[in-house]
Amino acid sequence: MAQTTLDEWARDPLVDPEVRAHIYSLVSALGGIGDDGTYALGDDAMVCLKDLRKWLKLVDAKHNRRDVARSMAEANLVKGDLLEILAKISERVHDTLKHKLAVACLEILVPLTWPFEIDPLEATAHQYRHGPYLELAQIGYKRAILHFDRARILQTAVRIALPSMAVPLRERSQRDEGVIRIALYFIRNIAMLAPPKSVPMDIDEAEVSRSATIDTFQEQDIFQVILSVASSIGEDFVNQDVVLLEILFFLLKGVDAEKLFMEEKKLNSSNTSELKDLISKEKAMLASYARTAPTRHNRFGTMIWIKRDDEKVSTLSGQDVLGKAQKSMEKMDTTKKWNKPKGGRRKKDENDEREEFDLPIGLTSSARKSLKAFVEEFLDSSFNPLFLHIRQAMERETERVEIRHSRQYFYLVSWFLKAECARRRTIKERAADPKSAEVLTAEDESYGLVAEVMNQKTFVLLNRFTHKSQSEKAWQDLNAGMKCFTQILLTVQEMSEAGLEEDQEIAENILNRIFYEESTHDLVVQILRSYKDQGFGYLDACTELSHVFLRMLERYAKQNVDLQVRSRKRARKIKKKNDQAQGVEGEEGHVSETEDIAEAQRTSTERKFDFARFSAKFVNQSSVNTFVAFTKFFRELNHEQLKRAHRFFYRAAFKMEIGVLLYRVDILHLFNKMIKGPEGLDPASPSYKEWEEFIRHFFRSVVKRVQDRPELIVEMLFSKIPATIYFLEHGHDKELPTRT
Amino acid sequence: PPPKDDALGLDQEITVVKQRRPIPKLDETLLLSDAGISKLRRISKDRLRLKGKGHEYGDIARMLNMYQLWLDDLYPRAKFADGLVMIEKLGHSKRTQYMRKEWINEGKPGYNAASDAE
Repeated sequence: MAQTTLDEWARDPLVDPEVRAHIYSLVSALGGIGDDGTYALGDDAMVCLKDLRKWLKLVDAKHNRRDVARSMAEANLVKGDLLEILAKISERVHDTLKHKLAVACLEILVPLTWPFEIDPLEATAHQYRHGPYLELAQIGYKRAILHFDRARILQTAVRIALPSMAVPLRERSQRDEGVIRIALYFIRNIAMLAPPKSVPMDIDEAEVSRSATIDTFQEQDIFQVILSVASSIGEDFVNQDVVLLEILFFLLKGVDAEKLFMEEKKLNSSNTSELKDLISKEKAMLASYARTAPTRHNRFGTMIWIKRDDEKVSTLSGQDVLGKAQKSMEKMDTTKKWNKPKGGRRKKDENDEREEFDLPIGLTSSARKSLKAFVEEFLDSSFNPLFLHIRQAMERETERVEIRHSRQYFYLVSWFLKAECARRRTIKERAADPKSAEVLTAEDESYGLVAEVMNQKTFVLLNRFTHKSQSEKAWQDLNAGMKCFTQILLTVQEMSEAGLEEDQEIAENILNRIFYEESTHDLVVQILRSYKDQGFGYLDACTELSHVFLRMLERYAKQNVDLQVRSRKRARKIKKKNDQAQGVEGEEGHVSETEDIAEAQRTSTERKFDFARFSAKFVNQSSVNTFVAFTKFFRELNHEQLKRAHRFFYRAAFKMEIGVLLYRVDILHLFNKMIKGPEGLDPASPSYKEWEEFIRHFFRSVVKRVQDRPELIVEMLFSKIPATIYFLEHGHDKELPTRT
Repeated sequence: PPPKDDALGLDQEITVVKQRRPIPKLDETLLLSDAGISKLRRISKDRLRLKGKGHEYGDIARMLNMYQLWLDDLYPRAKFADGLVMIEKLGHSKRTQYMRKEWINEGKPGYNAASDAE
């Protein structure tokens, strides 16, 4: 409830009463409804705006409080005054005085819409107190700005910056740069603000959704601005690259690139089939419940005994277990009350992490259309210059590049590569259709539009980024890196299947480079093996990466039989020698010594690549555990994901012949549940058949093995000890070469 | 405050702090006890009848049921899936690993002869 009178303020000082009084008096001095019914500026509006800005800066920012921001939200400053002022002068911003006024408005709007986050290091009680209120207020701002009916606010913001943008880069003053920056950050803030998940809102979520943002951007020509800035990056604009990156990131994250490029008709049919699938899934689920549902009322009071060993009995109540041995076993288990405590608080913030980019976003058809048009134009004109520019900035570690930007960069690279592939596919389909008039042109065929992220420099950067985020345990970063790498591999694959010979050659070259480094192979294996509670999005990304990587490597190794890899060999000898020399040499020697060690560690040898050896490294207990963790989500997985898990297990059990890794009761339990229920896979789904076949096959081998070697009964409880794996698999010990 | 002549503190009231009953743990000792693995080995030999080819799902269901009942006897608190996770974890310890190797070796041909000779 908003507090309205001075007495109330004084009684319950949520905000310092004096601060609030000052802000209120400033806001009311700013202006109000004039004689003609429109907004009239106060006499000293300019000074008031300056004062308000000073308050924000000197009280809130300096003392880490949010009192001023809150008072402003309560005083309805944004909707009641700032937007009105902008609307009033939006047509006449070329007037110097008006322009100044408009800039002053923007200068307040930007900090007010700045994403609210509490820095745990410098958090104050004020921040926590005002947090939820401000988050809601910001969503209110976003709504007001997107749907303001008298003027196009975003466009006005751009128009304010236009004169400065027109100035050539060299002649641009500090102030011009500032104005451009503030306008772009304003757009970013609007794109970034999302309904808070912690606080319930009382406004319609559709009004502030992604679709609404995209519609407004389209309507107010913001996309054009983004395109023109992005395409002339490096020439007319330099420092704006990261802001653009953020705008793109918040516009595109979570949007399904494949769906974006589907033809309208196809999309409809795919949506329909999705709905159909869902309905049939639900039907199957209900049917499986109905099969065992009680046939009489719930007080019928049946009770049964289950006779067990040693003259013991268990009692169970409910008629649903009558005559169904399996059902009674399940019921015995589910009625237990104790749950194994799940350690750690990770579970809680899993959703927060998904929020970053693993949460799918749906779009309305109008938003989809305009976003698609924008993405196409962006790919055609701006992708290469912008992403080249940002990459260079990241390599130089420029000050404006912050930690989150590299994650956003790699996420966007993967997103745009996916979009480009999807777009080419639709073009191809259209060209293949004899009825349509479109013809493939040579330019359409080449992958030049995304060439800037498919070169060695990007790979080096990506490699470094992945290694770094892995060692720093920055899982979201690693997630983005993996997505990017996967998408690069997939793009290369599509390139190699493209019609143009040049493309095939390039693809071949890229693969050569990727597969030449053995450290890359090790990294992929390492990531897959080290999964532990990083959440579903991460799990999905790491299993996909290893699936795609392994499959492509297999094919590549088949084609290039004499594939060489560079493996890193640590030359211990050199190090040892240096250690001895250290005692003799002084300071100078120290430098050369570290260099020597680095040199020694860089020493690498070429050797022949052996796919069988690599894939053996790939299938081990920890990677099995990762895939089991993935398969546990089988109810939510789609066909593609289930296939991925299926191929892995198939490879482990039958191709590599180390099925013994899978001989574990929990895995058997999971597999059995997938097929036989309760709540198993839908028998009508396409994945069901291949899984059913695989699992039957696998179960047969298990039964046979257990009959041959009864000691497996015990071993099936545990992960296997490396020393005994061979024996369990083959029934005899490995024959060691005997010494003579 | 107690009177000063009460040196032995006999008149002081003794407050009895009730201790919580310790929760039984599923640990190595329990797992390696008679009701643990050795019982599993016994019942799997005596009772588990596998039909083989053509009855894959039935066989595995029987096997899973055997494990479930065994686990329920061993540690009734835990649900089947939870219990499996706990036991799997116990399998990493030195002592269990040693025993596991022993059990495997027992199944190897010529093991009895070797142990008799000692």
